[in-house]
Amino acid sequence: MKRSERRLAAYLDRLVAGRRPHPFQATPEELAAMTAAVELAAARTGADYPDPGFVERLGRRLRSELEGDAGAPAPAPAVSRRTLLWTAGGSAAAAVLGAVADHTLVTALSAREAETVVPNAGSWRPVAAVQDLPEGQALPVDTGSMRVLLVNDGGRIHALSGVCTHLGCTLQPSPQGGALDCPCHRTSFSLSGKVLHYQLARSPGDLPEVQSRVRDGQVEVFVV
Amino acid sequence: MDPEPRPSRPFSVVEGASYPDWESVYRDNVLGIYQLVFRRVGNRADAEDLAAEVLIQTLRTLRFPAPVHDVRSYLVKTARTVLADHWRRHYGRPPETLDSELAERTAALDYLPSASAAARALRILELLPERFRQVLELRFLRGYSAREVAAELRVSPGHVRVLQFRALRKAAELGAEVVE
Repeated sequence: MKRSERRLAAYLDRLVAGRRPHPFQATPEELAAMTAAVELAAARTGADYPDPGFVERLGRRLRSELEGDAGAPAPAPAVSRRTLLWTAGGSAAAAVLGAVADHTLVTALSAREAETVVPNAGSWRPVAAVQDLPEGQALPVDTGSMRVLLVNDGGRIHALSGVCTHLGCTLQPSPQGGALDCPCHRTSFSLSGKVLHYQLARSPGDLPEVQSRVRDGQVEVFVV
Repeated sequence: MDPEPRPSRPFSVVEGASYPDWESVYRDNVLGIYQLVFRRVGNRADAEDLAAEVLIQTLRTLRFPAPVHDVRSYLVKTARTVLADHWRRHYGRPPETLDSELAERTAALDYLPSASAAARALRILELLPERFRQVLELRFLRGYSAREVAAELRVSPGHVRVLQFRALRKAAELGAEVVE
């Protein structure tokens, strides 16, 4: 084998093993091959999520550099800790095997993250005043990319995906309050997102949660 | 059912939104910057070092409150420089595609979500001739060693090395044409 093939092979071996490759002077052809390999390796499910320990350490380092205070806690990232922990865990590699085999990587991703919607490029946006959301009521919010239902479930204000988990019809707050109805197949969800009743052969899934918080009397959601 | 569904609340990005402090910048951007960098180096150790470099460099120079638009654009520009330096230092020069790609990101002011990046990679695989696709799928998506790929495809490990190089060059060509 030629020397150039050997050194590229060594680079790829380390890349696949998840290790830092060794430096070398690459030709343009080698660089093109390397970037294609990097893109593929990064497409493995969960591969491009940071380790929660790294996010925590970097936060502390920044606080120490910017404020001169090493003892204070690091700011939590705008991603739920559970998501970070999950993707850093071992289940990701196992999931890829099945996912890639039938080319449903994208579906697999969305199905597993269904518990809480955490958009990668999301940010906190104020969407309603708390006083606009009386107990037992729901308020639809449309971001263009996401349809969200703000709900006041017995005094607990939170946000749910406003899309039916069966076939994607747009949920509406029920006229009598206290429930979220699908206009397509008489499926109904409680204000906590649980399925109340359905006419289908099998129960659709519960509604994914959307991250929300109350600040200065405003309900804020983490959306794109 | 409501005969007339209540209209959705109008939603708009707050014009001129600003980050009040470094913590809000960090919370909002650490994931996007890490992913942007990871997808251009492919390994965790380098991605952590470079993402840290980008965030530290940027945050040191910001004055608050800082407009969201300016901060994002500055972060991506810094990532461009840091990544180009990394490739130059380690492999002699930055890949040709690096700069144009990141210029687009800067303009879009948004980080590509994982699902879109994965979908793009799968699209490129699908366009490859069968043999090339098999090698790359086993090697990079399933993480097989060259020896394991050789056993699976019943060829010699040396042939796998030749095949993977050709397949990657073809994938690079196709990658330039496949849009997100």
